Amino acid sequence: MKQLVIDFAKCNAGRDCAHECEMECAVRVFKVDDPAQAALQIKAYEDGGGHAVLCDQCGDCVVVCPTEALKRNKLGVVMIDKKLCVGCYMCIGFCEKDAFMRNSDWITPHKCTSCGICVKVCPHGALSIVEVPEPAPRII
Amino acid sequence: MIVVNEEPLDWHEGMTVRDVLRAKNYRFPMLIIHVDGLLIPKPDYDTAAVPDGAVVQVIHLISGG
Amino acid sequence: MSQLVFDPTKVMPIDYTKRTEYLDGLEAFKAGRRVLKEIAYTPSLPDKGYNNRTLYVNVDSLEITEKPVTQQMKDVFIGGRGFGLYHLWNAVKPTTRWNDPENEIIISPGPVCGMTQYAGTGKSLVVSLSPQTDIPIDSNVGGFFGPLLKFSGFDALELQGKADRDVILFIDGVKGIIRVEEAPAGPVDSHVLGELLTHLYAENEADLPNVSVVTSGAAAEHSLIGMLNFSFYDRRRGCVRFKQAGRGGIGTVFRNKHIRALVVRGPKVAGDLNHPADPETIAKTGVKYHKEIREQDPHQCMMRRNGTAHIVEIMNAYDLLPVHNFQFGSHPDTHKIDSSYWQQRCTQATVDGCWYGCSMACAKGADGVVLKTGPYQGHMVTVDGPEYENAAGLGSNCGVFDPDALLELNFYCDTYGICTITYGTLTAFVMECYQRGILNLERTGGLDLTWGNFAADLEMMHQMARGEGFGKIAGLGVKKMKEHFIRNGWGDPQLINDIGMENKGLEYSQYMSKESLAQQGGYALTNKGPQHDEAWLIFMDMVNKQLPTFEAKAEALYYFPLFRTWFGLNGFCKLPWNDVVPADNSSQPEPQKVPEHVQNYVDLFTATTGIQITKEDLIMQSARVYNFQRVFNIRMGKGLRLHDAAPYRSLGPVTREEYESRAERYDKQLLDELGIDPTGKSTEEKMALHRTWRTDRFSKLMDSVYTRRGWTLDGVPTLARLKELGLDAFPEVVAVVKQFT
Repeated sequence: MKQLVIDFAKCNAGRDCAHECEMECAVRVFKVDDPAQAALQIKAYEDGGGHAVLCDQCGDCVVVCPTEALKRNKLGVVMIDKKLCVGCYMCIGFCEKDAFMRNSDWITPHKCTSCGICVKVCPHGALSIVEVPEPAPRII
Repeated sequence: MIVVNEEPLDWHEGMTVRDVLRAKNYRFPMLIIHVDGLLIPKPDYDTAAVPDGAVVQVIHLISGG
Repeated sequence: MSQLVFDPTKVMPIDYTKRTEYLDGLEAFKAGRRVLKEIAYTPSLPDKGYNNRTLYVNVDSLEITEKPVTQQMKDVFIGGRGFGLYHLWNAVKPTTRWNDPENEIIISPGPVCGMTQYAGTGKSLVVSLSPQTDIPIDSNVGGFFGPLLKFSGFDALELQGKADRDVILFIDGVKGIIRVEEAPAGPVDSHVLGELLTHLYAENEADLPNVSVVTSGAAAEHSLIGMLNFSFYDRRRGCVRFKQAGRGGIGTVFRNKHIRALVVRGPKVAGDLNHPADPETIAKTGVKYHKEIREQDPHQCMMRRNGTAHIVEIMNAYDLLPVHNFQFGSHPDTHKIDSSYWQQRCTQATVDGCWYGCSMACAKGADGVVLKTGPYQGHMVTVDGPEYENAAGLGSNCGVFDPDALLELNFYCDTYGICTITYGTLTAFVMECYQRGILNLERTGGLDLTWGNFAADLEMMHQMARGEGFGKIAGLGVKKMKEHFIRNGWGDPQLINDIGMENKGLEYSQYMSKESLAQQGGYALTNKGPQHDEAWLIFMDMVNKQLPTFEAKAEALYYFPLFRTWFGLNGFCKLPWNDVVPADNSSQPEPQKVPEHVQNYVDLFTATTGIQITKEDLIMQSARVYNFQRVFNIRMGKGLRLHDAAPYRSLGPVTREEYESRAERYDKQLLDELGIDPTGKSTEEKMALHRTWRTDRFSKLMDSVYTRRGWTLDGVPTLARLKELGLDAFPEVVAVVKQFT
């Protein structure tokens, strides 16, 4: 399955980075001019290091979704079907990576789909999409 | 001798909170335990010492249907 | 003893998508219906939790009308059980009995019901005059019917009249149609009828989750203990499942009215259909709670794995599990029916939860059950549960420790439309009568009802469904059986009365109250009868010793029944309140109230309705409805001190064996509490001393509780209390109380 990963050896978030990845995701994917709504969030630390909130497509949210609105596509990426979603937000509460997002203006939650838009704009080449094996569903 | 929920219980050297729970057969998972007024966090049940003469309060919350 | 750890590798490999199907008769059933009345209406969605109208249907005259929800109704009765009691009060007279046409069944979801962001928000309350108690009964039930009724435009459904042939009421909340149809001959039992009707009224496969049906079953027709099943479509299993409005015989009223089924088809559910005043607060509170479940539940009750059955082993360990008709509190075979077994037997790799957003997901299911008896012998079915009440009531209380037998009993109770709690307690009574010679093979018509004989137990249930033999007598419930046995001279009347576990005509639910005075009140001093949904105080009282005085017990019996009443006014489930607690709950003041969750409820109510309340207001909201219900009982000729009397089995040891099983405890009590040295006294003498002491302190408890509740010592709410609650605005309510002043 396709998974977005970050290399903190290259990420410049704590220094002078403009967080192009977040802005590009917010504007191009979610059509909002607010990086806080992006499906990835890079937290920069003073020492130059950082922490990334990224969806690793683990599939826990697929297991807990009561309406089968969350499913893997052919690439193994977890996608949300807004027509089936009832806005219960269990996907958000059960995401151990806090990678399922919610915007006050939308009733359905949103997440990273490993589309790679952010990868292309990162000036430091810190982000990449990798192919990893799909984990077995867990009992949650 | 210690007192657990207002009832006496024999004390032994090295007694822990876990020993008290075992002795009383308190196996409910939602407990609040104070030893001489001090709250004992759940991860410390195996190690927290219960001194001789201690007053132990094991509050069981409510659950079920 | 340590807490059970869930091991996913031990879950039985059972295909949860396989079961017997019942769709063969669908086309014939479809063609066999006849429209009796059809009207068009304008569907609506709630605004801040209310549609501001209710639906009235008379199944006899076929009158179908909308009624406005007034501001006074919302202010005083909130919704749910409050609306149910309000409508019922206006529908009946003091002389009305359960089977009179004017008796109603009211289903009301409450303003918060239908929220999808928080756990346990799909409940509706069903209210009717009970065939068992002759007073209002209220039953709290999950499933999709309540929320879908609300999203079809109604805050309550009132059913009145008595049809002369079986009818189906269909509410199409998408097309705006309400239709009463004559039902063709065909299935009555819920697992068959529920599946058939869900597929019949859904427009296509994607529409199946938008349809919910209410049904009962064959045994409800021939007994007084009928129950209603509320369906929800389980997408992963591909099957129709049910939650039950069990207590008090509402299923019997339903079948007596010749209602075969209610069907609602609602719009596709979304997260904002309630149109709440403040969706952001609801979203934040919901996400916070889901996280709490994820983090805490695996280390606390494991509700997601075991459901309420997690307390089977707990009750056994604390000598509180009812065994052999509440005689004993534990049994060596309990491990066969505790959650260490059920978490392997129930399907785990799926989504349970009887309404969207329920992260607690206690609605476990056992799949691949092949039935061994009865009309569905050989069929493969999914059994909902077993919940704690079923494992204890159908299991340990009757000495049944065979888990397959327990699942079969659970299944047939559900599909036959009878209450598992009631059936468990009445069967335990019957089995004890059999043990003590009050019943014998001749009197039971050949049923060998010895403890644990599940074959005879199941046969009694099948008889109940066929309306035959001893099963028909058992279906009258404990109270009427006691009268029947005494009238026939089959045994010592005092013994029969002592061991028959009913109060107000309703059977006790499955906890041992003998060693907790507060819980004796928690059961007997209830509005509808002895159900644990008002107060469960055994740990606080008996184990923690937090309620040392009559005043402390009375305070708990003031607060908890009112707090818990509130769930049923709003469409909430009780379980998410205290079957998980926040990590820092132990450092909060009054942790047993779970203060953070109480605040969640205050916030969710305010965020839905836009009405600012505090946690004190919450108690006042409940107090209005609670006292109204007490006055309603009095209006029906009950509801006084004498009607709160408790059978002695619930207060203390009735028999020698019971005393001797706990002799150390009881002897010590004689010494400590009564100052009497038990040495040299016979068991009978000691039992007599206990009886006097225990009966007396129960009476003192009544005094304290009535006083705290603002009632007279006869159990009547005072005029001053009614004024305080604003109930003096209802002259009829005042008039009932005035007779006693």
